Amino acid sequence: MTVVTLLQTAAGGILTGGVYALIGIGLSLIFGVMRIVNFSHGELMAVGMYTAFVLFRHLGLDPYVSLLVVVPAGAALGVAVERLLLAPIARAAEHTAILMTVGVGLILSNGLLFIFGAHPQTLLASYSTATVRLGPITLSLPLLVSFALTVVVIAALYLLLTRTDLGRAIRATAQNRDAAELQGIDTGWIRTAVFAIGTVLAMAAGVLLLPLLYVFPTVGSAFTLKAFVVTVLGGMGNVVGAIFGGLLLGLVESLGASFGATNYRDAIGLVAFLLVLLVRPAGLFGRSRV
Amino acid sequence: MSSLGPLPTPARIALLVLLLAAYPAVFPRTLNFGFSLLLFAAMATAWDLVGGWAGQLSLGHAAFVGLGAYVSSLLWTRLGVPIWWGILAAMAGGALLAWAWGFVTFRLRGAYFALSTIAVAEVLRIVANNWADLTGGPEGISIETLPAPFGLNLFSRTVQFYLALALLAVSLLVSWRVGASRFGAWLEAIREDEDSSMALGVNPARAKVLAFALSAALTVAGGALYAVHLSFFEPHGVFDLQLSVQLVLMAIVGGMGTVFGPTLGAFVLLGFQEAFRSTFQQASLFIYGVIIVVIVRWAPDGLAGRFRTVWRRARDGRRALDTVA
Repeated sequence: MTVVTLLQTAAGGILTGGVYALIGIGLSLIFGVMRIVNFSHGELMAVGMYTAFVLFRHLGLDPYVSLLVVVPAGAALGVAVERLLLAPIARAAEHTAILMTVGVGLILSNGLLFIFGAHPQTLLASYSTATVRLGPITLSLPLLVSFALTVVVIAALYLLLTRTDLGRAIRATAQNRDAAELQGIDTGWIRTAVFAIGTVLAMAAGVLLLPLLYVFPTVGSAFTLKAFVVTVLGGMGNVVGAIFGGLLLGLVESLGASFGATNYRDAIGLVAFLLVLLVRPAGLFGRSRV
Repeated sequence: MSSLGPLPTPARIALLVLLLAAYPAVFPRTLNFGFSLLLFAAMATAWDLVGGWAGQLSLGHAAFVGLGAYVSSLLWTRLGVPIWWGILAAMAGGALLAWAWGFVTFRLRGAYFALSTIAVAEVLRIVANNWADLTGGPEGISIETLPAPFGLNLFSRTVQFYLALALLAVSLLVSWRVGASRFGAWLEAIREDEDSSMALGVNPARAKVLAFALSAALTVAGGALYAVHLSFFEPHGVFDLQLSVQLVLMAIVGGMGTVFGPTLGAFVLLGFQEAFRSTFQQASLFIYGVIIVVIVRWAPDGLAGRFRTVWRRARDGRRALDTVA
């Protein structure tokens, strides 16, 4: 393998990893604040994909423009799911919340299956196969745009978490719920806000992946697993860790596949995930924090 | 209820098995459905040993279903080992896997353990899918001939039905024995509060691993029987996360940590799935999603628990009225 192909593979891996990070951050944020492992995360991503797909097919709306619709729709969906289904069981045992999200995931993926049928569809925008040359390396244009938008979204989230009152309240709730409550923070609504943010991030990631992937109703479950891998690599509840976890998974998958293990691409991440769970349950980057 | 109340559990198990034994005579046309009811009831009861009694949420029991299906049928199709020895070998293998798996993962609690079980089942599925020389890869395995023990035709739906019934009976008896024993009390103590259970002298690691191995062995037997029933299967069908989730749901809908709960749950869920099959077609798991959300939201103790609460309330209400009168 030449240096150029290696660079090419690594660059592609990192760009894909950026989108993985976007999915992982939402999952990690939800776990950090709500202590819930969201098993419907990939399905929420699939809902985002289909929303953009429908907007493109019927209104001719460019997927990147459709983010303007998907983001508020995601926030509304997130608020509805949290208020109606998760908030009432907030004090119940941990496995109850896991099951609830499993149920929500089943409803979403089978709802999509019911509406759109099982056959994979693809969105062909004018730029789907366009490439950009960077010296000797050729990169896919939609992947590059997705990565750039991911950076923008992560920067916005960073500002939200560090510079706004809502962000401070979220971080306080993650650190200590009772103490936050004593400071006058309505932690119930903070949980709702966090679930909505996580839903928006997952659905936005779906939109960003749409020009690159076939879309089918069960596309989400593979991404739920990837999101788990990303968050466990980075440390559950650790948002910054999730970014590195995402980039690492993208890189490892892409390099592993190019070294002849194409069929085991998904297994590589899962084995890494099991190893990290066993050896360093707090993640590769230490303490869990938001 | 009051007439059944004093009946000891083994007698209730015997009564249930006798009633079910009449199924092939009453509904000879829906033997496939009957087989699924019993098989899934048996596997959900097996899941409940570790998931319900010990409170360890395994979302990867499909790993054992797939293991049972693959090991027993590969031993038969490749090496000619009769399927019943294959089942025993697979059960031993499954228990061993659970022991090793539990040994390393039971240090993880709650969500972490659940995540690790999904990963193990997925890795097994990917291996079964790609190691084509051994497993036949994505095309799967087809069982064309089967040995005939005592002249029984294992391809016969009736024979398969009674084998599934036997497995259900064994699972229920194991669940009853565990529930009534000191071991069961350890598991419940671990489920309620692991740290306090240690203070009381329970060894949580050992008890959980034992429950996991027992649960695995029974699930593996179910997987092997499933393979015989399907006589053609591929990795996705037996290692799927959906399958794991189905088993968990049955136990939860019926009532976790009870002898009959998982069986009740299997009957209710499969009944719903069958009833809505034509409505939702390939999206038949939609109804599972709705049921799980409704149950978790409004009846977190499962149907068995819900019935008990309603019945107690009615009884206490009537007593209160009697006192007034």
